[in-house]
Amino acid sequence: MTTFVASLRYEFRMQVRKRTVWIVPALTLVLFVLIGGSLLRDLFDPGERPVDPRTAVVGLAVQLHALLSIGFGCLLADRLIRDDRLRVASILDATPASPRARLLGKYVGAGAATAIPVAVAYFGFAAAYAVDTGEPRALGWALAAFGAVFVPGLLFVAAFALAAPLVMPAPLFRVLFVGYWLWGNVVSPDMMPTLARTLVHPLGGYPLAALFDFHGIDGQEAWAGPIPGATLNALRPDPTPALAWLSIALLLIIAAAVLAGGHALRARRVR
Amino acid sequence: MRPLTLWRYEMRRAGWAAFLGPPIALVLGIMAALANPQPSDPTTARILLGALEMAIPLAAAVACSSLVGRDPARELQLASPTPYRVTLLRRMIVTLGWTAAVAVPAAVVLIATGWWARWPENHGAFAGQLTWLAPTVGLSGLAFAAGAVFRSPGAAGALVTSVWAIQQFFAGSAQAHLPGRLLYLFATTRGAAPGDWTANRLTLLGAGAALIVFALVLLGRSERLIGEEDE
Repeated sequence: MTTFVASLRYEFRMQVRKRTVWIVPALTLVLFVLIGGSLLRDLFDPGERPVDPRTAVVGLAVQLHALLSIGFGCLLADRLIRDDRLRVASILDATPASPRARLLGKYVGAGAATAIPVAVAYFGFAAAYAVDTGEPRALGWALAAFGAVFVPGLLFVAAFALAAPLVMPAPLFRVLFVGYWLWGNVVSPDMMPTLARTLVHPLGGYPLAALFDFHGIDGQEAWAGPIPGATLNALRPDPTPALAWLSIALLLIIAAAVLAGGHALRARRVR
Repeated sequence: MRPLTLWRYEMRRAGWAAFLGPPIALVLGIMAALANPQPSDPTTARILLGALEMAIPLAAAVACSSLVGRDPARELQLASPTPYRVTLLRRMIVTLGWTAAVAVPAAVVLIATGWWARWPENHGAFAGQLTWLAPTVGLSGLAFAAGAVFRSPGAAGALVTSVWAIQQFFAGSAQAHLPGRLLYLFATTRGAAPGDWTANRLTLLGAGAALIVFALVLLGRSERLIGEEDE
């Protein structure tokens, strides 16, 4: 436990002090505002913003999660292999500290630190929206959306970002990850077989549809459930709250499995 | 050292990601096109051209974003007769050259099998090569410049993939105004104004070249490379 907490605190502080952890999401948001048409601008335009505060902040969660998770995953991709690159892994392995606890500490600490700018951006915009519209409920919805949509998705991404570079170069992971993120989250299932809108959907299709009753900013989009003619519809049952929790649990189980796989791989290499 | 030996060395130093990225990205793109459950010629052709216009530039650019900040003994590089920025430029040329060696045969196969012509906005066999060349140079220029600014492959890679993804997720908004249309990476397969295609391709090439020059100027300040570094 002490190892876990010590590792978590150290990794958190090291990561949160990295300037690039703050600069990358900030630049992404600047670009996002510059291209226009996003909710970041519309939220503060009485003529354009959604009438319902829940739709507004949940829609904002979807847009920011879709976009900022990419930088989040890419920034975390060098965290585990870094110990080997700096040639400190064998020294750390020689200490009595359990490698499993160190890995978990790194996962939670570095992941949480990289997620802080994402949370600051999301809650900052949600709070500004709540003040602008005089709707404090928006903050409650923002908290709920962060817990049910952002957190499971980011934990899922972080597990792959730490473990995958053990079996491939980190830049290759970044390419495959952003390709997966587009394919597995956004591509329409009637265009090609995809995990988008299935129970394994890190953008949170099932929680969005079943827990937040969110159907797009204009109320016309389906975020979960079967699509006529699409493949993999077996993984797209009609959304219910129970399935939304199952979807969240599936993401967490996959993340745990990937992390365990990464740990086993490192342990084998050390031997 | 003979120049050829130097090029061969830099080819190895460009890294596995530079070598494996473009072919893997291309194969995945082709698989996505052929897995289409409701095949209709233009859609499949569009995804095939998309593999060239979207997947190949992404792989090349992320490899270019990882060039700065990887050498363990930068002081030695900086003290060698070959300027370090020339070494890095050489690695970038090797990366882009390999990308072209993957993209051109793929384009030739698409042209020979008729898939190229099935996408209405294909712009012909010769000028149409700008489909992959312009976004590759544009995004790789941005990647190299981001690498020179951040000196961290992670941060530069994160920025490049985020720019790529913004243009994917918000294709409509990104092309709502002229500057956005001129800098849009996927004008062949997702372009909003086909009339802007040539201007868009030339702008991307120009922007890429300008960013590479910017990176080289920045890399000339060697004290930045041995100072504090973002690990």
